[in-house]
Order: sequence, then structure tokens, then C-alpha cells
Amino acid sequence: MDPVLYENIIDVCAILMLLLSVLSITTTRMGKLVQHFAIHSLVLAVIAFVVAYYTGKYEIYFTFALTLVLKVYVIPKFLNYTMHKINAEREIEPLVGIPGSLLICTALILISYLAAEPMVQSLDALGSTCFAVSLSIVLIGMFMMASRRKALTESIGLLLVENGLFLGTLTISYGMPLVVEFGVFFDVIIAVVIIGIFAYRINRTFNSVDTTFMRRLKDD
Amino acid sequence: MIDVELILLIPVISGILCFLSPREHIISWISILVSAIGTGFTFWVCGPVFLDGTVIEYSIWYLDAMSAFFMMITSAVAFMVALYSRGYLGLEREEKILKTGSEKFYYLYLNLFVAVMLAVYCVSSVGMIWIIIEITTLISTFLVGFYHDDKSTEAAWKYLIICSIGITLALIGISLVYASSYGIVEESEALNWNVLMANAEFLDPAILKTAMVFIIIGFGTKAGFAPMHTWLPDAHSQAPTPVSALLSATLLNCALYSILRFYTISEITIPGYASTLMLIFGFLSLFIASMFILNAKDIKRMLAYSSIEHIGLITIGFGIGTDLAIYTALFMVMAHSLTKPILFFCAGNIMQAYGTKDMSVVRGLATKLPFTATMLSIGTLAIVGMPPFAVFMGEFSLFMAMIDSGMWWLAGIAVVLIIIIFSGFARHIYPMLTGETDKEVHYSKDVTRYIPFVVLAGAILVFGLYMPEQIADGLAGIVNDIFGGSL
Repeated sequence: MDPVLYENIIDVCAILMLLLSVLSITTTRMGKLVQHFAIHSLVLAVIAFVVAYYTGKYEIYFTFALTLVLKVYVIPKFLNYTMHKINAEREIEPLVGIPGSLLICTALILISYLAAEPMVQSLDALGSTCFAVSLSIVLIGMFMMASRRKALTESIGLLLVENGLFLGTLTISYGMPLVVEFGVFFDVIIAVVIIGIFAYRINRTFNSVDTTFMRRLKDD
Repeated sequence: MIDVELILLIPVISGILCFLSPREHIISWISILVSAIGTGFTFWVCGPVFLDGTVIEYSIWYLDAMSAFFMMITSAVAFMVALYSRGYLGLEREEKILKTGSEKFYYLYLNLFVAVMLAVYCVSSVGMIWIIIEITTLISTFLVGFYHDDKSTEAAWKYLIICSIGITLALIGISLVYASSYGIVEESEALNWNVLMANAEFLDPAILKTAMVFIIIGFGTKAGFAPMHTWLPDAHSQAPTPVSALLSATLLNCALYSILRFYTISEITIPGYASTLMLIFGFLSLFIASMFILNAKDIKRMLAYSSIEHIGLITIGFGIGTDLAIYTALFMVMAHSLTKPILFFCAGNIMQAYGTKDMSVVRGLATKLPFTATMLSIGTLAIVGMPPFAVFMGEFSLFMAMIDSGMWWLAGIAVVLIIIIFSGFARHIYPMLTGETDKEVHYSKDVTRYIPFVVLAGAILVFGLYMPEQIADGLAGIVNDIFGGSL
């Protein structure tokens, strides 16, 4: 097939991921949010598959399989389990309202495109468009972590950041060496489990998963 | 050739043994004993590498003089921490601050944490370094949140989230480095740092520039660069005191080391770019730290800011980038890592004796706890850069290096900030030493609690007065071989 077709498929998927990130920012129901994350990861898996097929690198099929198993199935399952366990089905009033959040997201996307500008010439066609998108996803994920109040939403923010990152590595450099790729996956899994443990502990200690209660440590 | 594996395995075994040990009061002895063996072995393997500049390289491991230097510091501090932990946790157990059965978890995490920190220094792939740095966060989160109360949970949460984000940024940077080497080096070894080093001049400069921004911000979060330092005072103040010492004296070095690996590469491809970034972050850290030290209330938070200060100074040293500056920065890494544990251990003694971290409450140390008071004075004088201690030598030659490279202004600012920090320390520590208190002071007299103070104080005094020639040669070797200097 024509390489342009592959590039187009990947571009469309990348944009889809970006839109899903923006959608996640507007979601206040935890269940829905987990679902969005699962779809987000599914799109990432599709990209991994296309990149693997396009470049013929068998390692990327591992990335595809791992994403599919872990991020589309296992992690959402775990998040749902934790969510029910600590009764955190709804996000409380976010610190930044939804219209405001959307505005900030737009600004973040613009910033990413600006930041990616100097590198466009050095990267090939695939990387040059996707780098800005992956940077946007990373920034939106971070914004989610900063602006939402529940521990679990913050962990989904982190997962979105990781997805954005994987999009970046897949499209800029066609994945990383296999050992590194495995290690990163392993780390993400452990991180999510530990975040789950701590969300549970926060719930027990503060009787709430609202992280705004955690303002005791400061210099004054 | 299983030297490297053994170095990493010994702490792991120690952790497992501690965890499985049937009786609570022998756990600390197991940890001390195995830690002593581990430290001895680490020195036995790393010593020759550091002194002769030989390189150990096989399978995924890569150990050169710089790795050996950092590993020896880590290992030595870890041994001191193992010694100090015994008395500290023992007292907490008696006072029922610790739940029964939690001590074995402490030693398990502590030893695993040490193993992982050592692993940072001996892998050849910069991708692996990233993975291991992330694991250090994941393990030490449990140590920071060890007391399970509201404050430590908050500190652990902040630590986990902020460092995870930071490290994610670093991964973007690494993937960009990988992209910049695309088509230049073979893919299977593309992230091996010595391969990158050898091909550094062919890397794509535009991509590498962006990569360095991500890497310095990302790993800098973990190293405690301002303004990404916010997790650091919380984590250092809430962790059990021996762990605070370990975080400050060894964990920050891990992140710094990762930055240095990329720094050496980028200085070949795009000279002056990463070093400018490091100068900026160094000064910012120094500035922020000085402001907070002046108004600190909590002794451990003050010490945490002092770590930010020293990381700032070290970063400035690498940022200046002359041979003398890099040599000094390496020396300061060692000086800081040996000095800071003394102060944290003093803080631990004070906390346990007075039951508070608030410096305005603690009075009359000189009469109540004469040993701690002496060590606190020594430690304070040493950390603020008074002669004849090691940090003084470092700071002095750092200023020389700044002036040599024509950075008069920067040297002036740095001097002012260091004087502010000095007055901050004096303002808080002096009243603690003097004065009167009616407070009942509990204190545990345990010989393992005294040893680390004496050893560390002796070490900083020796390095302040006299630099052994072998160590000077070793450091010069690092500057020459890794940073491309000519000392």
C-alpha cells in the first residue's frame, strides 16, 4: 500500500486520541472517564499496529499487544475495581470549570504546536505532525492532574500522559528498543497499582479521595 | 564476571532476609551486617574502577569511573543509614509509634531502595536509567508514606505524582534523543550511552536541543531543581529520618547523574546549550532555597531546602563547564552527601528527644544532648561552607571557577545567596543549642547511633583539610575521560 495512506491513518488516529483527551477533561463521571481512557488506549494500540505493519518491525507488535492487554483491559478493570471499593463514582466540582478547562486545553494545543515547530524539519513526515499532537496529549493529561480533585482522576491524568508519550515514541522514533519498551510498560503498571494503593490510603486517612484536603504541608 | 549483579543482589538479599526474619529485634542487625558486606564489596569492585579509570562492561552493565564514584557514595551513605536506623526505629518501636510488624517492611523497602539506586549507575542504556529512576520513586514512595498518617500520606502522594510527571517528561526527552540518533547508530544499541557519546557529533542538533529541555526538566524534577522542587521538602520532612538522609544524600544524586550522562553528550553536539539551562536551574534553586531557609520553622524542611541549595551549587558547577568547575562539582557531590546525613541524623535525635520538629520550641541542646549539640554545630558549620570542612573547599573553588570563566556577576549573586543561607542557619540553629528548657528529654544511648556521626564528621574533616591524591586523580580522571577535559 501507499505509505501516505499509513501516515494518514496514523494522523487520524492521533487526532482521535487528542480529541478523546479533550473529551476526558470534560467528563465528570468516573466510570465514563475510565471508559474514555480505555478507548484512548485502544486507538493507541491501533496506531502501534499500523506503525508495526508499516515499518515491519516485529518489536512494535509487542507494544501493540501489551497496550491492548494492559491498557485497554487490565488497567481500566483495576481502576473500576478501586473506584467501587472507595465509592468514588463522581468527580466533585473540578477546580477549573469545564468551559475554562476547554479554553486552557486549546491554549495547550497551541503551545505544543509552537514547541514542536523548530523540530519539524528534522523529523520525518510522520513524526512532525504527531509530535505536536503527542505533546498536546501529555500537557492535557498534566492539566487534568493539576485541576481535578480526586486521587483517581489524577491517576487517569497520568495514564493519559503516558499514552501521549507512547504516541510520541511510536511516531518519532518508531518505538524504543524492546527492553526499554518492556520496562516502561512494567513501570506504568506498577505506578498505577501504587497510585491505587495510595488512593485507597488517602480515602482511609482523610475519609475522602478529594486531594484538596491535602494542604497541610507548606512553608509559612 | 558477576560483580555488578552481586553489588545489586546483596541489598536485595538483605531486604528479603530482614523481611523474613522471625524476630523483630534482630532485623536491624541483619540489615547492618549485610549492608556492611555490601558496602565493602561495592568498594572492592568500584575502587579500582574509580582509581584506575578501567571500565567494566558486559551484557547490560556499564561501569566507568563516574558510576563507580557515585556508587561508592551511595553505598557508604546507605551503610551509615542502616546503622542509624537501628537506634532510631528501635526507640520508635518502644514508644509504640511504629505498629508491630512494620519494621520488617521498613527494612525491606530501605534495602530494595538502595539496590535500585545502585542500579541507576551501572546500566549502559539511558533508557534503562529512566526505568530504574522511576522504580526508585515507586519504592521510596512507601518509605515516605511509611507512618500512614495524614501528613506522610500527603507527602507520599505529592512525591509520587510530581515525580511521575517529571520522569514522563524525561522519557519524551529520551525518545527524542533516540530519534536524533536515528539512522546514525545501530538500533539495538542506540540508547547505549557510550555509543551515543561516540557518535555525539552526528546527532541531529535541532532535535537534541528540544530533548535536553525535556530531560533537564524531567530528571531535574527528581533532582530537586527549583521550581519543580515542591515535592522535596514535603517528602524529606515526612519520611522517617534515616530515609530523609538517604533521599537527600543519594537519591538526588541519581537524578543528577542521569542528567550528566545526557549533558556530556549534548555538550559535544550543541556546546553551551545544556550548560546554560543548568546554570539557570542552578541559580533558581539556590535563590529559592535561600529564601525558604531564612524563614524555615521545621528543621527537616530547612535541611531539605539546604539540599536544594547544594544541588543548585553542584548544577552551577557543571553548568560553568570548565575543567576546574566540573572537578569541583564532583567533589561537592561527595561533600554534600557526606555532610547532609549528619544533620538529618541530628534532626532525628532532636525529634525523638523533644518530640517536635519545630525549631522554635527546641532549646538547651548543649546541656540536654551534648553529643547531638556538638554534631549539630559541626554539621551546620560544614554545610554552610565554613572551613575546615569539605563543603568549604568545594564552594571556594567553585567561586574560583566562576571568576576564572569571567562570571563575576554570577559569583557575586551566589556569594550573597550563600551568606543569606548562612544567616538563616545561624538564626535557627544557634538558639537551639543555647537556652534553657524544662522539657523532659528522652534519649536512647545506642552505640550504633553514634558511629555514623563520628565516621561522617571525620570524613568531611579529612576531605576539608587534605585531599588524598588517589581521590584527586580519580576525580581528574572522570573530568578527562567523561567530560573531555584536560586536567
